[in-house]
Amino acid sequence: MTVAPADKGFFAPTGKGFLRSWLFTHDHKRIGMLYLWCILSFFGVGVVLGLLARLEMLTPGATIMGPQTYNAIFTLHGVTMVFLVVIPSIPAAFGNIFLPLQLGAEDVAFPRLNMFSWWLYIIGAAIALTSLFTGGGAPDTGWTFYVPFSAVTTTNVSVAVLGVFILGFSSILTGLNFIVTIHRLRAPGLTWTRLPLFAWGLYATAWIQVLATPILGITALLIVVERVMGMGIFDPAKGGDPILYQHLFWIYSHPAVYIMIVPAMGVISDIIPVFARKNIFGYKTIVGSSLAIAFAGSLVWAHHMFVSGMSDTAVMIFSFLTFVVAVPSAVKVFNWTSTLYKGAIRPEPPLIFALGFIFLFSMGGITGLVLGSAGTDMHVHDTYFVVGHFHYVIFGGTGFGMFAAMHYWFPKITGRMYNKTIATTSAIILIIGMNGLYFPMYLLGLQGMPRRYYDYLPQFTNLQVASTVGSWVTLIGLVLMFSNLARGWKHGQKVGDNPWEAATLEWTLPSPPPTNNFDQEPVVTHGPYDFKHLSPGGTDQ
Amino acid sequence: MYAQVFSAAKEVDQAFLIILGFSVFIMVFVTGLMLWFLYRYHHKRHPVAADIEGNIWAEILWTVIPTIIVMGLFWTGWSSFKAMRTIPEGAMVVQAEGRMWSWKFTYETGKTSEILVVPVDTPVKLELSAKDVIHSFYVPAMRLKWDMVPGMDTDAWFESDAPGEFDIFCAEYCGLKHSNMVTTLRVVSPEEFQAWLQEGAQVSAAPMLTGPELLDRYGCLDCHTLDGSEGVGPGLGKIGGKEVSLVLPDGTRTRLARDEAYLRRAILDPSAELVKDWEDLMFSYDGEIPEEDLEGIVSFLMTGQVTAEAAPAMLLGQKIADEEGCLACHTTDGTDDVGPSFKGLAGSMRRVDAAAGGTQELLADILYLTESIVNPSALISEGFDDGMPSFENLTPDRLKLLVEWLASMRKDADE
Repeated sequence: MTVAPADKGFFAPTGKGFLRSWLFTHDHKRIGMLYLWCILSFFGVGVVLGLLARLEMLTPGATIMGPQTYNAIFTLHGVTMVFLVVIPSIPAAFGNIFLPLQLGAEDVAFPRLNMFSWWLYIIGAAIALTSLFTGGGAPDTGWTFYVPFSAVTTTNVSVAVLGVFILGFSSILTGLNFIVTIHRLRAPGLTWTRLPLFAWGLYATAWIQVLATPILGITALLIVVERVMGMGIFDPAKGGDPILYQHLFWIYSHPAVYIMIVPAMGVISDIIPVFARKNIFGYKTIVGSSLAIAFAGSLVWAHHMFVSGMSDTAVMIFSFLTFVVAVPSAVKVFNWTSTLYKGAIRPEPPLIFALGFIFLFSMGGITGLVLGSAGTDMHVHDTYFVVGHFHYVIFGGTGFGMFAAMHYWFPKITGRMYNKTIATTSAIILIIGMNGLYFPMYLLGLQGMPRRYYDYLPQFTNLQVASTVGSWVTLIGLVLMFSNLARGWKHGQKVGDNPWEAATLEWTLPSPPPTNNFDQEPVVTHGPYDFKHLSPGGTDQ
Repeated sequence: MYAQVFSAAKEVDQAFLIILGFSVFIMVFVTGLMLWFLYRYHHKRHPVAADIEGNIWAEILWTVIPTIIVMGLFWTGWSSFKAMRTIPEGAMVVQAEGRMWSWKFTYETGKTSEILVVPVDTPVKLELSAKDVIHSFYVPAMRLKWDMVPGMDTDAWFESDAPGEFDIFCAEYCGLKHSNMVTTLRVVSPEEFQAWLQEGAQVSAAPMLTGPELLDRYGCLDCHTLDGSEGVGPGLGKIGGKEVSLVLPDGTRTRLARDEAYLRRAILDPSAELVKDWEDLMFSYDGEIPEEDLEGIVSFLMTGQVTAEAAPAMLLGQKIADEEGCLACHTTDGTDDVGPSFKGLAGSMRRVDAAAGGTQELLADILYLTESIVNPSALISEGFDDGMPSFENLTPDRLKLLVEWLASMRKDADE
């Protein structure tokens, strides 16, 4: 250890002026922090919109708003959460900060391109937000922008879609950057089989980002062309085909859910061995399943369209492939659970969040079987069942993966520790709250309540009330968790470089890491979860 | 999930049971194991971790077995889907059309209906179509859902084992009143069905429906109102002969009085002349309305006979108060709630904060009532919070009706 933990590391002033040193930085850690702040801010916006929509659902008919407002709110909740929060979440924030550190690199392969990606993200977000306050009012199409409705609505869809178009390029360039970084910038001795599973997760994700996101760009442009020039690509009145739009949309947007979940799986794979004090069970299988998910996940998009009117043969093929993609996800869950077997488990907050991830993700994953099966999907498609499934997987999965990452790497970023009791409490409150919030949605869906309904029939009232109460419990958990982290950053106890006694390279650096990362290029001599080489203080022997 | 009454749906329910049963088993197993490990291998009970890097046979086992199971689940789901998709020969055909935001069911006899009435124990084939955007025909009780795509013919079928009434929902988001696109499936005995079908035939042949009934029947009132307020389209109350500004497709404007010829054109070719400030959303009713019904609608719109007498006006006012949410805070029985009760409000003296400071007494007359709806913050009665939103977006007609209704509950003369 050459630098005291009290050092400000990469947060130290660079002498260029505060704003310039952040907004035009090439340092991957600072760019990662910029993403993190933006993502958490947009997350706050998305949460508020979600809570308002839930509050409206407390009673049938008008509760706090009119139908147009409600339709705009669920659209904005979806657009904000999907495009501004969940897709960038773990890769852009924690991937940027920790990928080069885990590889023993100075920075990502293309630091200036990395900065440009962040700017594209901010510009895209700004344009998407502009659509709320200009033109014919906030978009009311749902985050899926289905034509022909999105082509005829008078709200400001074109501007919102343009924002999404630009956001897509941010994602593509980040993916490109990560692929090259992982291929070219690994430290000596860091072979592919010694790569931390978080880096493997980012690698699989990066390929989906590079290969699938361009389709989103094409689709977004076609909507704008359709609206502005009246081209008639999708509009049946002009001889176009609305189903074409759905295919194009889901060719990107289904792989996008793997962009959301695979990095979270990487985080979980990194955390569980550290707190079980044991090597991950079946490293190669987990790597293989990440790649299998990335590949097979690109071939299942039309399972969103079983009742769209496409051919029954297509339904059969896509249903089959959907069940195929369930297998690698299940294998991951079995491997994580087996890693706990005969460990010396320390139930610290990151592990509690990681186990929360496994539980909530499984709750979402198994209901995916109901949706992937063609016959049962016919009943629950476009009902609350889908809403519940999606939120279990994305909020319970990616969200908890993000929270786990925050609690795991917090001492590395800040050099301090949060209050662990409060952190664990908040994790448990969140698990309870999310089940209260989303489980009633499964029941509503099975009873036939369609989604995106401003008003509903009286038989659905009790479950709607239960779900809304669940949203309040979730809110309490979120406030508790974030306030605890904020307090920890200011007043938390200072901890050493490696408080969790983890074995990956980022923990060999001071906390916070210095601007130039490694003084000397590290040489890797053991696997990422080989704790035998660590002395009790967590330093390398 | 409530009971289904459709034989093919029984296969679907069986698939539900198998898949959900398997899911619950996996969930309980994994969660139980996780919690057990967390307890058993806590570092206090098990301080030294075993050195296990994996077990290839275990992993093969838990890759192969789930693969076999999910293939079985896939097949269960697929075969139930096939049953739902295999439409029996000779099924009774009904055309179902979705449009913003109502349904139209057309029978082979030419009869049309807003609800779907079918005989029990008879396979029914639905030929699905959409007028404007994508809708989705969904009957939870039949486990049946299929999209209605404009420009594309889709179909679906069901057969009900039991009579009854079931909900039909639109399941594909279609804009402002998507959640109002709810109607009823009524399953009746074959005799009742025949009678209903005949009765329909008579309606289209002989007895005249009134103007508002006709407007309702063709879904006009889903977008237009008769009370002077603005819906998705311009209001239809008392418009006969009134002047209107129109925008032609080439962007030029014109003004004309609404005569019968114009009203006909507006219904049969609405895009050709748009009322200024309204979007081109309405579809053409050309070929949708028989001549005599069109005549009935046009003559009603020209003469507008169903204007409210005194009593209905009062009812209308109450309806508006209900729609606007006034009654959430104001009662009509004399007890004050969040806001003062409407009963006895008109004609009473109100003590309100004066703009200059202090309070002043004002008589709650028509002017006062109107102003306190449009700009409530300026006229908050003592003892109440300044919490009421402004209702300045009420159309003059609705505002007038509302105030008249409030005035009808005035304080007795002797007080």
